Amino acid sequence: MSAPTLRVDTQDPTPPYEQLRRQLADLIHTGALQPGDRLPPLRQLAGDLGLAVGTVARTYRELETAGLVRSRRGGGTRVADQAPASSADERRQALDRHAAAYLRQARLLGADQETALDAVRRAWPADE
Amino acid sequence: MPVTVILGLLLLPLLGVALAGPSATGEPATEHIRRTTRRWRWAGLTVGATVAAVAAGQDPLGRGVLLAAPLFGLCVLAGVVAGESRVVVRPAGAARQAALETRQVRHYLPRRPIRAVTAAAGALAVLLIATTAAGSADDLGRAGRSLAYDCGEFAGGSHGPWAGSFYSFPLALVVGLGVLIAALAMYRLVGRPRPQDPAGDLLRDDAERRRSAAAVTGACGVLVTIPLIGVSLFTASGLLSNPCRPAWWTATAWVLFLLIPAWTALLGWSAVAVLNPGPHADRPTPVPA
Repeated sequence: MSAPTLRVDTQDPTPPYEQLRRQLADLIHTGALQPGDRLPPLRQLAGDLGLAVGTVARTYRELETAGLVRSRRGGGTRVADQAPASSADERRQALDRHAAAYLRQARLLGADQETALDAVRRAWPADE
Repeated sequence: MPVTVILGLLLLPLLGVALAGPSATGEPATEHIRRTTRRWRWAGLTVGATVAAVAAGQDPLGRGVLLAAPLFGLCVLAGVVAGESRVVVRPAGAARQAALETRQVRHYLPRRPIRAVTAAAGALAVLLIATTAAGSADDLGRAGRSLAYDCGEFAGGSHGPWAGSFYSFPLALVVGLGVLIAALAMYRLVGRPRPQDPAGDLLRDDAERRRSAAAVTGACGVLVTIPLIGVSLFTASGLLSNPCRPAWWTATAWVLFLLIPAWTALLGWSAVAVLNPGPHADRPTPVPA
């Protein structure tokens, strides 16, 4: 599928609503979700992930409080026209989270630190 | 009453399946969906044809014939609901995923046919309201079964059968039930999660959803157009039977006659859509959010 995918791990100590909030915030800040893009309806996303509707509703509420999305009755939830840019601290935290996830995968594959870093260097485009 | 009992007995298994869980399968996800929904659609079709045949022979006053097509459409819709319910796989593992997309009913319904079916349903509703308001009791006192007219102090008469309350109330009941089941079918097919391949990747199953949506549209088309054609013919002939009719009765009768080819064409599309709901290329895929 070409659409971005949202993932939730119910065994993760982070609550599902927070997992979803982080992923959606990252997608908005990186531009994968553009201003005006519509988020999935609450019931659809809750059904697809096997979560309670209230869990997804909390995610959307938190994003709305942060000014990243706006909800309208009958119009669904859309990315805000002027979503606040993420701060350097937020970007660093997001990078840390992704690095931790990569580290978990690398360890599962039996890679040591140098092998894992080599993989990152190989994946990094040569002209950057 | 016997029709209601037969219909209930035949629809119960389908609704039971609709409320039951999904069937176990080891087939590829989209192939399983295609086969399962097709089987249940054909089960609905078979049950519907049986119910329609039984219903048509039930009432000598024509209510059975009038309700046969709507009952057929109702059973097809129930089959679609049952099929869609069988292929729902609720996410159960620890790691779950969902596509960031907005699925809506309009993404799957065939655009032009659904407009035509909606227009036909509106025409049927207007026609039934008018014929019910104009209906009167027949010579045996059965309310809403004939059209009475008065051509002066010493001349008058009535024409029947007429689509008054005797026919319109049961017809409206069955058509209304059909619309509810169609809404349920669309809710089911839009709301079910995307299937996953053995590697855990989400799969596009929009073609299967479009097939089911086309079958729903076709069943609604059959549900509405056959009674509409019948009621139009009887209403037009009833209006023309009045020897002292006003000019607008004549005009209305001819408009009803002239619309019949359009309803027949829609019925043809609907029958094909029910029997072979192919994919519709003119519909966009669900828009990624």
